[in-house]
Amino acid sequence: MSKELNLWLDDLLKDIKIIQFKRKNSRRVRIDISPEALPALLELLQGRASYVHLSAISCVDWIEEGEFELVYHVWSYETNSLVSAHTRIARDPGVYLSVYDLYTPAAFFERDIHEMFGVYFEGSPDMEKFILTEWNGPPPMRKDFDSEAFVNQTFNWEEYHPQWLKDIEAEGGGITTRPEDVR
Amino acid sequence: MSDIPYKDKGSILGPFKSLGFFSRKPVTEPFEPRIAADNYRGFHVNDWDVCIGCSTCQKVCDNAAITMVKIPGLPDDPVKGIRNERPAIDYGRCCWCGLCVDICPTGSISLTQEYVHTCREDELDSYFILPDPKGMHNKLFPKGWSKSEDADLVDLERQHMAEMEPQSRSDNFDEIVDGFTDQQAIIEASRCVQCGMCHDSCPTNMHAPEYIRAIWEGDAEEAVRQMYRSNPFSHVCGRVCTHRCETACSIGRRGDPVAIRWLKRYAMDAVSDERVREIAAEGKADFISGKKIAIIGSGPAGLTTAFDLAKNGHAVTVYEALEKPGGMPRYGIPEYRLPYDRLDADIDVIKSVGVKIECNVRIGSDISMKQLRQDFDAVVVAIGLQQGRSTRIPGSDHEQVRSSVDLLRMITAGESFDVPESVVVIGGGNVAMDIARSLARMQKSQYGKVAVTVSALEDFDHFLADPEEVREAREEGVVILDSRGPRECIIGKDGKLEGLTTLGVISIFDEDGRFAPSYDEADEQLHPGSMVIESIGQMSDISLFGEELTEELEWNRGRLQADENGVTSVSWLWSAGDMVHGPDVVHAVADGHRVADSIETYLNKE
Amino acid sequence: MRPENYEAIKQPPSNEFELNFGPNHPGIEGNYAFRVKLNGDEVLSARADAGYLHRGFEKLMEGRLWIQNIALVPRICVPDPVPMEVCYSLAIEELCGLEVPERAQWLRVMQLEMSRLAAHLFAFGGHAATTGMYTPMFWGVADRDLILDRFEELTGGRVYSIYNIPGGVRRDMPDGFLDRLESLLDYLDSRLADYDNLFFRNQVFIKRARDIGTMSQEQALKWGVTGPNLRATGLAFDVRRDDPYLVYEKIDFDVVTEPGGDALSRNLVRRAELKQSIRILRQIIKHLPSVKGPVRCPIPNPLAWNVPAGETYTRVESSKGELAYYVVSNGGDKPYRVHVRGPSSMHAVQVLEKLAVGSRLEDIAQIMFSLDACPPEVDR
Repeated sequence: MSKELNLWLDDLLKDIKIIQFKRKNSRRVRIDISPEALPALLELLQGRASYVHLSAISCVDWIEEGEFELVYHVWSYETNSLVSAHTRIARDPGVYLSVYDLYTPAAFFERDIHEMFGVYFEGSPDMEKFILTEWNGPPPMRKDFDSEAFVNQTFNWEEYHPQWLKDIEAEGGGITTRPEDVR
Repeated sequence: MSDIPYKDKGSILGPFKSLGFFSRKPVTEPFEPRIAADNYRGFHVNDWDVCIGCSTCQKVCDNAAITMVKIPGLPDDPVKGIRNERPAIDYGRCCWCGLCVDICPTGSISLTQEYVHTCREDELDSYFILPDPKGMHNKLFPKGWSKSEDADLVDLERQHMAEMEPQSRSDNFDEIVDGFTDQQAIIEASRCVQCGMCHDSCPTNMHAPEYIRAIWEGDAEEAVRQMYRSNPFSHVCGRVCTHRCETACSIGRRGDPVAIRWLKRYAMDAVSDERVREIAAEGKADFISGKKIAIIGSGPAGLTTAFDLAKNGHAVTVYEALEKPGGMPRYGIPEYRLPYDRLDADIDVIKSVGVKIECNVRIGSDISMKQLRQDFDAVVVAIGLQQGRSTRIPGSDHEQVRSSVDLLRMITAGESFDVPESVVVIGGGNVAMDIARSLARMQKSQYGKVAVTVSALEDFDHFLADPEEVREAREEGVVILDSRGPRECIIGKDGKLEGLTTLGVISIFDEDGRFAPSYDEADEQLHPGSMVIESIGQMSDISLFGEELTEELEWNRGRLQADENGVTSVSWLWSAGDMVHGPDVVHAVADGHRVADSIETYLNKE
Repeated sequence: MRPENYEAIKQPPSNEFELNFGPNHPGIEGNYAFRVKLNGDEVLSARADAGYLHRGFEKLMEGRLWIQNIALVPRICVPDPVPMEVCYSLAIEELCGLEVPERAQWLRVMQLEMSRLAAHLFAFGGHAATTGMYTPMFWGVADRDLILDRFEELTGGRVYSIYNIPGGVRRDMPDGFLDRLESLLDYLDSRLADYDNLFFRNQVFIKRARDIGTMSQEQALKWGVTGPNLRATGLAFDVRRDDPYLVYEKIDFDVVTEPGGDALSRNLVRRAELKQSIRILRQIIKHLPSVKGPVRCPIPNPLAWNVPAGETYTRVESSKGELAYYVVSNGGDKPYRVHVRGPSSMHAVQVLEKLAVGSRLEDIAQIMFSLDACPPEVDR
């Protein structure tokens, strides 16, 4: 596969001042970039450096810092290299641009992130609910949503009364530690 | 490009090829449940004789499927580290991943090859099972996924504690162990599975799981805080404790127990003395109660009582007959095991919460018990066992036949005495090892060679001293003989002590279990030595009570009678430590806490 | 007279109607709903509706210790669970800097290829069923059962093997396993001829599957298609060869492509991959006895295991396409974020919707199975 393109790309990206560039190994690159510049970077990568495949868009909720981190993983079939472009947006209001016009797979991930984290992507073709169509609560992947507490409030843990337990309780024994106490 | 020619050439005989299928064996299942593979992850089975109820399986289960159930009738022995609890598993949540099997410290739980269970909807209780050795449906299937060496998730090896080499340590009293590095401490602390057996078996219930976790998290100050919840002598215990915790540790069932004592030493050393004082003083009462308590004896029992009571706001005075406080840890344990400055650090913490220690004051002669009764609201006697017992064999009244306690005290106090060129020690306990190794060092530095012989009644399989002490003593040149009883101290014509004769031991206890050693008269050996040291036990000098009080108190075979809270038969007098029941520092600390609680109740009632 | 604010209700033309394809339907792999708007037999538009298999794994994984997740992870893709376990373990190994012993790496590749065989047998068996030919489906499931027997022997579990752990694998191979695996491979080799006769060379199937769900290479690249589906459009790309992991660099295998881009080509690519997997497994069988050593590197006590802070994106080639895990650790004993990128996220949603338009109702199931779209991966 093309090595020239990799070298050219490394040189170019190192020169651009607004991004932080780090090559982890021959096939992985990490870029940290401000949110305004990200779509331009993706366009550059796609158009000029053959990064045509958007592998995934991941979202990480950094609740203590009040930010969402969006990571765009793009892969190039020419250079066999993956570029992960990290950017951070403010948690409130949690709005960003869609890159659907550049990469078609973005529609799925943006819809998923919108549903799970509440981030709105302007320009994305479909922001309707996909998986959680009957859910009315807060976006569940956010760190301030405690799914275990929700489960404990909404559902009942199964109570078992087998005969062996009744026999033991008659002798003076019984349950000492429930699993939910040590979680 | 693919290589499948997908143009069907076809032939008229094509369909007849299918007749060949009649002779083929089909892929099918038998009517009976198929026998599972050797490694299969089926239903659980738990060997109750091996299981100790540590509940580590409950902690690793990712579906919160395991509940601990107390079963009366099973052995429950905190000292050995066995609980009468067993895991019960909810098969509605279990996914049979086998992590419980891989992490079980004892290897008692395993998965069998059984996999069939049917029930109706009204029989859902059958999903909650208590795995026992018999199998889920009382039919034992062969074991499937069970403990294997490849994939044991418990780390069975301890971090190595570096020690001084024998040749570098044999002529000085420098501390032998190096202590853990930060890295080693974190790795050693990570071996702990937080089962709590150590907490249950510690005589003073130290919060070991909590401080081990704090050390693992890198927070030595939190570790110190957890230690001070139950033990103000953590520098001391971190070096010389008899570590009941490590004996009960569940990892120790199949591997090395977690080095809880060395971790304690690490954490106490990692925090500055000043900061330790601040942490220890947390929770101190901010008022003065007006009550005064006198404590006789500044050993671990007395000082722990003093620490607790001073933190509750009382005025505590400790009277110590010797020159420096500390009791047996200072005057009995040699410096190479417990450096004096570490003991001083522990005592400084106790002084810093307001305890007054007056040394060189002997109660009974300088101040009478009656005086203490008048001046104080409560008195605690914790004088320990400062006198050595004698074998009373012929010749044992010679001036060169000494007791180990006396000599150890002299060595600590810096009092000089003639170091004998060769010496024989009678006794096989830790005190005998202490005096033997101390004298070996003094001999080595003065004469350049070691001539110490230890003769003990017990045989090596039942030796009283710690195995590490025995090993280290041998490395330092001490000769240890087992199964030998003392016969006579041989005194030469010039009146000088020449040595000790011993006889081979046939048995130590008689049929009723009483101490009545019987010897083989034909097996007599002479061990040359210009000093013989008796290290066969200790007793307390109770003359301080005076005649009247001695009459008033109740005694039990020569020992002061006190209940488990240290309450004697006289309402204002408590007793704690070695003089009541001992036998080591941590029990004395536990005593101290109980006595302090008892005094607190008593004072509040008044 | 009409009132002034009267608005006529727009009615759709009377020959258009909407059907719910799924979620319980034999033509759907798993539980997945597909709303199709039909004009007679022809699909006008399609809309995917997922969520029936949503178990919330990504959130669950954040609440469990690193090692407890190995029991959750295979459940994300039911037909092909091993790449999930391997990908998760690779991510943690990268974050911790663990070095997996060589024997464990070979065992992992062996499992991955066995799982690929099982998944492909399932996949084209399923495709055959959608065209009404049930015999290859029964054969596929039966032969897959024999592979599951080998899994049971090696790992203790048939489908969810829970055999990979960060640091290596959990147990060593039983004695004689390689012989039994080899005889199974011989059996499968002989069965390939039967499959060809009944299915792959069957004109009924070829006529049904040709030119169904066609996509060109440009479309495939644009839509983010990966795996055998992409190779069926002629692009020779395989994560095992071009972004290698474990010991694939030491193994000989071909990356097979087909030029057609339709359902037939996709099936032929899978058929060719079966042969390649068998080839890889034979090489492993020959090589594995000479690789000695532990099957797991030392790992900390699972109850006290802090993975250093960092993030990593690991990719493996599952039978369905490119599977990737994005794992973020904040230095604690639980994952901070695990994002699973299943290959079917693309295939089952956008690609299927686009390919369904213009096709006929009876072909939708075929398209879905030929894309090997796996709804558990979409829903997680």
